[in-house]
Amino acid sequence: MTLTDSPGTAGTAAGVKPVLEVRDLSVSFPTDDGLVQAVRGVSYRLMPREVLGIVGESGSGKSVTSLAIMGLLPRTARIAGSACLGDQELIGAPYSTMQHLRGRRISMVFQDPISSLNPVYSIGWQLAEAVRAHHDVSKQAAADRAVDLLQLVGIPNAKERASNYPHEFSGGMRQRVVIAIAIANDPEVLIADEPTTALDVTVQAQILETLDLARRETNAAMVLITHDLGVVAGVADRVLVMYAGKPVETGTVDEIYYSSRMPYTLGLLASLPRLDDRKGGALRPIPGSPPSLLNLAPGCPFSPRCTYRGDVCDEQEPELLEVAPGGHRAACHFSDQLEQRREAPVLETDATLQEELA
Amino acid sequence: MYAFALRRLLISVPLLLVSSMIVYALVHFAGDPLRDLEGRNPPVPPAVLEERRRLLGLDKSLPEQYWNWLTGIVTGDFGPSVKGIDIGADLSRRLGVTMRMVILAILLAVILAMVVGVLSAVKQYSGVDYTATLLGFIALSMPVFWLAALLKEFLAIRINQAIGKTVVYTIGESTPGLEGGLLTKLADQAGHLVLPTIALAAVNYAAWSRYQRSSMLDVLNSDFIRLARAKGLSRRRVMVRHALRCALIPLTTVVALDAGAILGGAVITERVFAWHGMGEMLLNAANDQDVNRLLAWLMVSAVIVVLFNLVADLLYAYLDPRIRYA
Repeated sequence: MTLTDSPGTAGTAAGVKPVLEVRDLSVSFPTDDGLVQAVRGVSYRLMPREVLGIVGESGSGKSVTSLAIMGLLPRTARIAGSACLGDQELIGAPYSTMQHLRGRRISMVFQDPISSLNPVYSIGWQLAEAVRAHHDVSKQAAADRAVDLLQLVGIPNAKERASNYPHEFSGGMRQRVVIAIAIANDPEVLIADEPTTALDVTVQAQILETLDLARRETNAAMVLITHDLGVVAGVADRVLVMYAGKPVETGTVDEIYYSSRMPYTLGLLASLPRLDDRKGGALRPIPGSPPSLLNLAPGCPFSPRCTYRGDVCDEQEPELLEVAPGGHRAACHFSDQLEQRREAPVLETDATLQEELA
Repeated sequence: MYAFALRRLLISVPLLLVSSMIVYALVHFAGDPLRDLEGRNPPVPPAVLEERRRLLGLDKSLPEQYWNWLTGIVTGDFGPSVKGIDIGADLSRRLGVTMRMVILAILLAVILAMVVGVLSAVKQYSGVDYTATLLGFIALSMPVFWLAALLKEFLAIRINQAIGKTVVYTIGESTPGLEGGLLTKLADQAGHLVLPTIALAAVNYAAWSRYQRSSMLDVLNSDFIRLARAKGLSRRRVMVRHALRCALIPLTTVVALDAGAILGGAVITERVFAWHGMGEMLLNAANDQDVNRLLAWLMVSAVIVVLFNLVADLLYAYLDPRIRYA
């Protein structure tokens, strides 16, 4: 993928430098069975204040990409490529360098708020610790700031609640605390890794609102990782769709949702339940499952599940190429032919599955 | 926290009461303390037997005997001994001797286990980890009496020879008839303590270090450690304030539960090093069929075990805020 060479991406045209630039990032894990290629060349640019949605199913490499950028992968991970936060290269940077960047210039909100907070320290203590990690302030000042932050993310009675322990909070409230920790030092980049996945549907919207509020409050650019296209549509400016460790389509929300050029994206969109659908219509899943990232076969990794498959798909993996001016890119040999499609049933739903669901 | 501590303390009372009943019943049914006298040839006059029976309180009913013994114990009177020993005075001297070794051994084992366990978790699958694992399993499988013999032969005697005088003693808990000030006495006791402490600590160190290693590994792979790193904390702070702090919680339970076993293990260790401690008292009392001495030993052990559990509960509550409200 050669996003960097392309003129005409919104930010570069105005001469604004991206806050985060990821180039050809790949991550693999040696296992007893062989090398698992979790991420196989991801590139993107994140402009100031921009929200980039990264979408894909489990195992598509969304989280691993972000953890690699944060320098939080286990030591066994083999990481190649580059990720620049401003002028600072993050990949391969020593712990001492990352220590001063993490939490101050780049922060992360994790998926599971239940286990993300240390059970033996109070909420206020953990927040104050995040503040004091990067600012030489008194304990009292840090504690005051912690209360302010708790207020900001919508914890009622913040002053009293600060002395409570994580087990005295609900999942949604804990995620608010994690968000407060992430924005404690006004980061430039905020990575939210499936921030609502582990939560009740009823609190998901609240957490997204809190996240959006936190982002606006700190003017951070955000990478929102999710498998929920609905979430992305509401929050993101641009979308990156990942499949089998690679970006397969990228563009603005409108481009992805209304003129997708990649069968996988179309399949994801078609699988969304719709309120205006004909009544009694079954959900339309994408048949099959994602490929194993261990010893990936040549060709397009999506081809076994794709109805648009041609001979070329099994031989050559399509590159992510521009399909429309302005940065809309897709990795499909047949992207031209998909041009006029919109929410069409590109994928025949598996007949047996249809029966089961009916 | 204080309410919690008080509640725990109050629970200890019925616990000790129940254990006193069990202990008393077990000893009572273990055998007649006068069997030795009864089997003698020429026979002991019945009047003498009767007198002894009355002296030991054996002429009363079992509940009455138990009640008299219990009220005696509470006021510090352990009852008459068949050998005419002042059980209370003897016990307090021996308790000091044994606890000196037990406490030191626990401290030594805990500190070593923490350091080695954490190191092998942080450096998992490294040379340090493998070496610690190997040494741990050797220590775990080595009988105390054999380890003691090796220590005497290869540690104490070598050191003493190298220095030219006896610094590390291989027998006894202190030099009898030693003249000198407090400092001389302390140094002498320390010299006697070295080998038994190492011997007693070794097996527990081995088990606990394995335990500490796995609990540290658990914590290191948890999400909140990842968040601690993501906050931009130093390696040291992540390891000590976040990882070690949480990894210590399970260890406190194990140490407290093992404390009773250590007391039992001390009996063997004392025997090997010819200490005149609690272990010797237990063996002698059992040999002499001295019911009250046996009971005294068992009750003191029960109190110590309950005490260690109490300490563990309080430590646990201090270390883990989730416990206090449970």
